[in-house]
Amino acid sequence: MQIFSFLFDRHLEKTVLAAAIALSVFMLTRPEDSKISAVRSISSFLLYPVGRADDYFISVEELSAENDRLRGLVVSLSHENERLTQFRDERNRLRELLGFRKDSFYEFMPCDVIARSSSRFHHSITVDRGSGSGVLPGMPVVGYKGLAGRVTQVFSSSSRVLLLNNKSVLVSCLVKRSRVVGVLAWERGNLFSLDYVGKEEDVLPGDTLITSGFGRVFPGGFPVGTVFQVADEKTELSRRVGIVCMTDLNKLEEVFIVIGGRDWEGGEAWLELEKSRREEENADDDEKDGGGGGGEQ
Amino acid sequence: MTYVLRIVLASFIVFILQVTVVHNVTAAGASPDLIMVMLVVLVIDRKPIVGIIAGFLLGFLQDLGNASFLGMNALAKSIVGYGIARYGRDYLPDNILFKGLLVFVACLINDIITLNIAISFDPTEVIFAFFRYSILSAAYTALLAVLVMQIIDILPRRMVRSGDRY
Repeated sequence: MQIFSFLFDRHLEKTVLAAAIALSVFMLTRPEDSKISAVRSISSFLLYPVGRADDYFISVEELSAENDRLRGLVVSLSHENERLTQFRDERNRLRELLGFRKDSFYEFMPCDVIARSSSRFHHSITVDRGSGSGVLPGMPVVGYKGLAGRVTQVFSSSSRVLLLNNKSVLVSCLVKRSRVVGVLAWERGNLFSLDYVGKEEDVLPGDTLITSGFGRVFPGGFPVGTVFQVADEKTELSRRVGIVCMTDLNKLEEVFIVIGGRDWEGGEAWLELEKSRREEENADDDEKDGGGGGGEQ
Repeated sequence: MTYVLRIVLASFIVFILQVTVVHNVTAAGASPDLIMVMLVVLVIDRKPIVGIIAGFLLGFLQDLGNASFLGMNALAKSIVGYGIARYGRDYLPDNILFKGLLVFVACLINDIITLNIAISFDPTEVIFAFFRYSILSAAYTALLAVLVMQIIDILPRRMVRSGDRY
C-alpha cells in the first residue's frame, strides 16, 4: 500500500509518464504480425470513415485528373470529327458531280457454268441463271479475277454469255497506271492485243488493264488483263501491246453476273447489244463460209 | 463531459485531416504535424498528467496509420505532452511568438524520438534525416500552430475552454 501511495499520491505525474512510456515500448516491442493484426482490428472499427474519406479525396483527385484528360480528348476528337465530316461532305459532293453514285455499287450473282459452245470462233458459255433470277441481256459477267464477257441471250432458267475471246468482241480499256486508252481484241488462247495505242503512249509490261466504261457496254473499272509485251513497230504509228487475260476464259466453272448499278434495258447499251447480236448472227453465217468479223466496243 | 466529447471529436477531425489533406499542402517536401498542433493547443495550460494522457492517446491515434511502429508516436507525444504541460506555461512568457517557439521545439523533440526508433538509433542517418526533414517540418508546424492559436484566441472562450482546469 505504501508503494501505491508513493506512486499515485506523491509522484502521480511521473508514474503516469512511466506507464505511458512502458506501454508504448511494450507496443513497439510486440511482434510485427500481432501489431498489424491489432491495428487492423482497431482500424476496422474506428478508422473506417477515415479510410472512406481518404478514398474519397483520392478518387476526387483521380477523377479530376481523368476529367482534364477527357476534356482534352473531347476537344481533339471534336476537331477530328469536324474534319472528317468535312471530308465526308466533300466526298459526297464529288461523287455526285462525277456520277459515281450509280456506278459504284455492283451486285454480283454467282452462277455455275453448265455448258460451253462447240464453235471454234464463237466462244460462249451457258450459265444456270436466267430471267427468273433477274438476269437481263447486256449484263457484264466477271470471273474471280476479272472481266469474262457479257450476257447475250436470256432464257427462263439459263443464260448465254459471250466471252471476251471472240473476234467479234472488242472492249474499250485503259491502262490503270497511265490511263492510256485502247481497244482490246482477242488473238489466240488467253492472249489479247491492245490496239490503237500510239507510239508515244506510256505503256509498260506489268501494267494492269481495266475497262474504261466508254461506250457504256461494259462498266468501267473492272480488271481485264496484264500487259506482258510492248513492241515498237518502226514502220507504223502505233505500238503493239500484248495482253494476257486475268481470267482464264477456257477454264471457267463459276462466274458472276453483275446485276446492280445500271439500267441495262434502258439506254445505249441495249441498242449496242442488239447490234452485236445481229453481227454475231452474221459471224455465224460467215463461219460457215470460213470467215469472221464485226465488232463492238 | 461535453468538453471531453468535443475534444475527442476535434481530435478525430484533426486526425482525418492529417491522413487525408496534409500530403497536399507540403512545402519543399515538408508537411505540418496537425496532431502536434492539436496537442499543444490542448495541453499548454493543463496539468502535466493531462499532457501525458492526451499525448499518449493522440500519438496512439497517429500510430494507427502506421502498424509497423505501433507505439512510436504514443511514446514521443507522451513525453512531448508532458514537457509542454510541465514547462510551457510556467517558464514561457504568454506571448504568441514564444508559443510558436514552443511548438517548434516540441516538434524537434518529437522527431528526434521518432527518428531514432524508425532508423534504429543510427546516429548518422538520424542526423541527416533530422536536418533534411525535421527542421523545416517543425517550422511549418509552428507557423500553423501560431495561426491556429490566434484564431482560438479570437473565438469566444466558452467554445474552446471548459470552466474547470483539469
